[in-house]
Amino acid sequence: MRFPKPRRVTLYILLVFFAFLFLLPLWTCITTSFKPVHDVIYTTPVELPLSPTAEPLITALNIMQRPLLNSFTFTISAMILSCLLGSINGYILTKIRFRGSDTVFLFFSIGIFIPYQAVLVPLVLTMSKLGLFNHIEGLILTHTAYGIPITTLLFRNFYGVIPNSLIMAAKTDGAGTWTIYRRIVLPLSLLPFVVAAVFQFTSIWNDFLFGVALARGSEAQPASVALANLRGTTEFQWNVQMAGTLWYALPVLVIFFVLGKYLMRGYMAGAVKG
Amino acid sequence: MVSVAIINLTKTYGTTAAIKDLNLEIKDGEFFIFLGPSGCGKTTTLLCIAGLLKPDKGEVWLGNELVTSSERDVYVTPQKREVAMMFQDYAIYPHMTVFNNIAFPLEVRGEDKSEIVKRVTATANLLGLSQLLDRKPRQLSGGQRQRVALGRAIVRKPKVFLLDEPLANLDAKLRVKTRTDLKKLQRELGVTTVYVTHDQVEAMTMADRIMVQRDGVTEQIGTPEELYNHPANLFVAGFIGSPEMNFTDCTLIKEGARLWLDAREFKTPVPTQVAPKLESYVGEDLIMGIRPEDLYERKSVKGSTQKNALRMTVDIIEPVGPYLLLHLRKGRCSLVARVKHTTARVGQEVDIEMDPSKMHIFDKKTAKAII
Ligand SMILES: Nc1ncnc2c1ncn2[C@@H]1O[C@H](COP(=O)(O)OP(=O)(O)OP(=O)(O)O)[C@@H](O)[C@H]1O
Ligand SMILES: [Mg+2]
Repeated sequence: MRFPKPRRVTLYILLVFFAFLFLLPLWTCITTSFKPVHDVIYTTPVELPLSPTAEPLITALNIMQRPLLNSFTFTISAMILSCLLGSINGYILTKIRFRGSDTVFLFFSIGIFIPYQAVLVPLVLTMSKLGLFNHIEGLILTHTAYGIPITTLLFRNFYGVIPNSLIMAAKTDGAGTWTIYRRIVLPLSLLPFVVAAVFQFTSIWNDFLFGVALARGSEAQPASVALANLRGTTEFQWNVQMAGTLWYALPVLVIFFVLGKYLMRGYMAGAVKG
Repeated sequence: MVSVAIINLTKTYGTTAAIKDLNLEIKDGEFFIFLGPSGCGKTTTLLCIAGLLKPDKGEVWLGNELVTSSERDVYVTPQKREVAMMFQDYAIYPHMTVFNNIAFPLEVRGEDKSEIVKRVTATANLLGLSQLLDRKPRQLSGGQRQRVALGRAIVRKPKVFLLDEPLANLDAKLRVKTRTDLKKLQRELGVTTVYVTHDQVEAMTMADRIMVQRDGVTEQIGTPEELYNHPANLFVAGFIGSPEMNFTDCTLIKEGARLWLDAREFKTPVPTQVAPKLESYVGEDLIMGIRPEDLYERKSVKGSTQKNALRMTVDIIEPVGPYLLLHLRKGRCSLVARVKHTTARVGQEVDIEMDPSKMHIFDKKTAKAII
């Protein structure tokens, strides 16, 4: 039998340790979600429930149902919109180009670094003027606008790798700007779309600040805000809070499990010589 | 099917001038080849013709239509030029099958489904791609990808073909075959073709006319025979022909009424019919050029050198097909001669004679051909 090198062993021990550390909160969240109030008080969070029950999960879902639906609606809409617009921006900034396109890109990049807090007041004012305050549409618009800089950056970097000769070939073949985008660029964009979509989904889904500022307590309230309110309304029901957290975390976890492999995959094989 | 005219075309990238003041007229239906070493501006010129690149200066005409002019602010988009281009890196669409790649230009033009199938099938047959129509590019070899790119260019009937090194990646046998097929196809279609290569054999065998380019400058334009027999300068003389032309530094001297080229190791008389052209160069440094096949071995006579012959030592004997290449040396002068057979062995001396009418003489200062 061959023994692995000591350096390897140390590495694995460290990795397992950190994985354990990172998974601990999730673990306690799961165990607590299945505990009745009695178990919450008489067991440590890490321990398994003494008499498991789905009660907290059902209670939490009843409260969170509407907000979760809201979150799904605006997260998916804003995700799709910001990815599509970012992709079109990236295409135009790399493959069409125009006088000043680098400057335009610079402005997009600056957009990435504007902190949420800095735009909060003007944002709320603008949204109320537009009549979108406390509306899902307001959240869609805000998150789309806020997502565009980062998706633009991502798509621009990816499209930089698509050989220009591919675009030139399509032009001589007779395809116009939009046809080239639809028939050549878009089908080659699976990878950046997955990356951008996962990124956008998680950051929009996890957003709290815009949700609180634009739709707190309303019909349009997002899940992140509703989750925070679980504590305020029903005091110290740890199990319900944890169950709510679990519901809230589930979509993001599922997405990472399902799409993780795409994040690793290259898609440009065979485009050019060599 | 149109002629192509290029007037004063200039394109600069940053500080490197890719094309300098190019003037060129390609005739309707002509097979025209751009020949030159890597980086001399061949691809750049094609891109300007296709409209994929806007030049800094100059005009491009397709037939009677002015398609590019920076001075008159004319620019017709590549989509409207009816020019088909095959790219050096193939640029086949990686997400489409071979069939869809070849069909793409027809689909974009809104051709009928049945017409598309018919023409793609015909093109695939011509290029030996029929078995591969359902494959994706990443499942193809380099040579097969190249043929797909070629197929996409020839599937429609454009006014001009622009082919950027279309055969570079094929193996020797397939290259020779495709060369002939392509030439035949071009004859049949009669489409004006601009073809880029840095392979001079390819250029010599396929072209109606060749333009030799170097560093963005045109060195010579002419038929293969003209370039071979009357190279305009040292660059063309050295670039065309394999093995390369022999060059020897020499001085023109006058003895009595007779002009002689004095190369130190040997002296050779200037043929009387070309003497008048050389009269003004007496005393100047020249370069004499002679092709390996214009050197002959003469049976050496023991003891004495034959008249007009040069006694040289054989360094290497290289057999190439039906010929032998003799690498010869005398002092600082070395020559390559191409002969059918020889009795000489390596290390022996042979008498070499040349055909004076086949001699090329260049001005050393300007590198231009005098005769
Ligand atoms: N996009 C570009 N940016 C800067 N310089 C360029 C660019 N494209 C070409 N050049 C330069 O212009 C010159 C001519 O390039 P071009 O591609 O036309 O050469 P070529 O004759 O096609 O060479 P090859 O046989 O290697 O393909 C080269 O010196 C090259 O470095
Ligand atoms: Mg090139």
